[in-house]
Amino acid sequence: MIVIPAYNPIASHYSFSLTTFSPSGKLVQIEYALAAVAAGATSLGIRATNGVVLATEKKLPSILVDESAVQKISLLTPNVGMTYSGMGPDSRVLVRKARKSGQVYYRQLHEQIPVAQLCRETAAVMQEFTQSGGVRPFGVSLLMAGYDDNGPQLYQIDPSGSYFAWKASAIGKNMVNAKTFLEKRYSEDMELEDAIHTALLTLKEGFEGELSGDNIEVAVVGEDRKFRVLTPAEVTDYLAEVE
Amino acid sequence: MSIFEYNGSAIVAMAGKECVAIGSDLRFGVQLQTLATDYKKIYKIHDQLFLGLAGLGTDAETLSQRFAFKHNLYRLREERDIKPSAFGQMVSATLYERRFGPYFCQPVIAGLEPDGTPYLCGMDSIGAQETAKDFMVAGTATDSLLGICESLWRPDLGPEELFETVSQALLSGQDRDCLAGWGAVVYVITKDKVIARTLKGRMD
Amino acid sequence: MAQAGGFSFDLCKRNEFLEARGMKGPGFTKTGTTIAGVIFKDGVVLGADTRSTAGTTVADKNCEKIHYIAPNIYCCGAGTAADTENVTGMVASQLELHRYATGTQSRVITAMTLLKSHLFRYQGHVSAALVLGGVDFRGPHLFTVYPHGSTDSLPFCTMGSGSLNAMAVFEAGYKDDMSKEEAMELVARAIRSGVMNDLGSGSNVDLCIISKEGVEYKRNHEYLQGKTYERQFPQRFAAGSVPVVRERVYDIRKAVTVVEGEPMEMES
Repeated sequence: MIVIPAYNPIASHYSFSLTTFSPSGKLVQIEYALAAVAAGATSLGIRATNGVVLATEKKLPSILVDESAVQKISLLTPNVGMTYSGMGPDSRVLVRKARKSGQVYYRQLHEQIPVAQLCRETAAVMQEFTQSGGVRPFGVSLLMAGYDDNGPQLYQIDPSGSYFAWKASAIGKNMVNAKTFLEKRYSEDMELEDAIHTALLTLKEGFEGELSGDNIEVAVVGEDRKFRVLTPAEVTDYLAEVE
Repeated sequence: MSIFEYNGSAIVAMAGKECVAIGSDLRFGVQLQTLATDYKKIYKIHDQLFLGLAGLGTDAETLSQRFAFKHNLYRLREERDIKPSAFGQMVSATLYERRFGPYFCQPVIAGLEPDGTPYLCGMDSIGAQETAKDFMVAGTATDSLLGICESLWRPDLGPEELFETVSQALLSGQDRDCLAGWGAVVYVITKDKVIARTLKGRMD
Repeated sequence: MAQAGGFSFDLCKRNEFLEARGMKGPGFTKTGTTIAGVIFKDGVVLGADTRSTAGTTVADKNCEKIHYIAPNIYCCGAGTAADTENVTGMVASQLELHRYATGTQSRVITAMTLLKSHLFRYQGHVSAALVLGGVDFRGPHLFTVYPHGSTDSLPFCTMGSGSLNAMAVFEAGYKDDMSKEEAMELVARAIRSGVMNDLGSGSNVDLCIISKEGVEYKRNHEYLQGKTYERQFPQRFAAGSVPVVRERVYDIRKAVTVVEGEPMEMES
């Protein structure tokens, strides 16, 4: 990290954090960041017995935007991927840093980074941006899914940098309803195929319009430890199954 | 004189059936003058993983502390012991970081993987890894150790036989090296116990 | 695991001082090496011997010299073993990140450029001599990369101390548009000529065949040098054959019982 001395006349203006406590002990910048997340497109994840599924809405501002060029689920390492709700550009910064962490870990130990470690590293970056000078918190919550020696795992990371492992979770505009829906539908012995169906049904609940392979994105990671974003054709097939 | 010959050392490690052994001599000297005869060159990383450091004593000491430090941090972060193969890569990366100003050490790593299979590897002083299924040697007695190991090692030795074989190899090997000797220490690592034995050797 | 990358030079001063006082620096593990590659009809065949040396001693009788760069690119390395291992590893890492960012297959020329710029930056001090081969959307490619950062692009090439032996075989036997089998046989023969006639090279032949269809990594394609001598009556030592002064036994069986606990209160 570059430390700029406080007496530097140019830099001093930015050398304090914008995220400061309110008298009641809240960090309003973080609450605003959460508001940005709550305004974002819904994303959800479900951990099954033999894998994890991530699904997200791909709502675009205009029908003129080319849907095939928009990607909301990203591969971080061969066995871990993530999606987000909130500000797309912010998420890309985190994707870049997470991918780099994965490579640093691999160069150091010749093992794929465990999901929990990658999650911790990414959360640490998000925390740093709530306390550093001249920056603002990330306007995103992340859902990170992966499969390693500890089996299938799903993590949610918030703008504050706090993270938890979940059996199933949802973030974004429709998170409250989606979570209620998931609480009803989730079962401990659910397998990946069921989880994909449940994910699609949950997404369908709060979706304005018709779900299609082009306006949502789905990714899975199973026992083969390969995180894979499904093609629009595959998503369409799954949608036909839940009809 | 090579800097590797300043203190003198002999390290040997061998793989057996679901066990590994690693041993070193006990001499610590400064060139031809012997200063101590109880100087082990083997460091425990965790119950199933041992590290031997041959070469310059001062660097071995520093490195052993750095690796203990790194493993402690690893254990706090990941809440598990490091796998021998991952540790090997960690040592290699640490040494290569000093590619242009190396630590004068040659590490030998011996351990059991979580599934109980033996893991052996050695390195030069800038981290060029060399994994072996049979045996690994390092130190000033390398030349004489290689030959005897090549002759004595057999596959699938049990812990007791492995101990005798490593000990014979180590004692014979270091007898032909002026800079190593004065007894030896051998660790045999199995799934549920570690046996440490100190051996009597020539004292000249 | 946040830490600064790059080399550390903090021991250079001390080591220089020691050298000035007559302490010779260490020798490194080298790969004496014969490595080679040819382009054939639908791809590339890379080959390598498997000996690594420390001075005149054989350090490893069966090491791996064909390194992974990308799913469609591999690289043979000669020179200082640590350098070839690390330079190929770093480039593999950079290319993986590049693939994530672009979503396209890596190009051989990208790998070659990354390798040469790293090697040129270190002015030959990172001593890696490489044969880089792969297949991308433009077809098969084969490059040699020299330790100072210069490169060649040729239909067949060799590197390492056995390069002359291998090149002699190539010069005599190379044809354009060979079949896969012909190319494999030619490369294996080139490496074999290094193994037999160059003292820095030895043991076995590794091959790696890369085509549009995929990669065949043939580790020990030809196992030339096993142990020729096995003891007829292996030396067996009776228990107690060496004088033990002291014995300590540590029981390390994990004595852990798992009990159900109350979940911790958490708030986000």
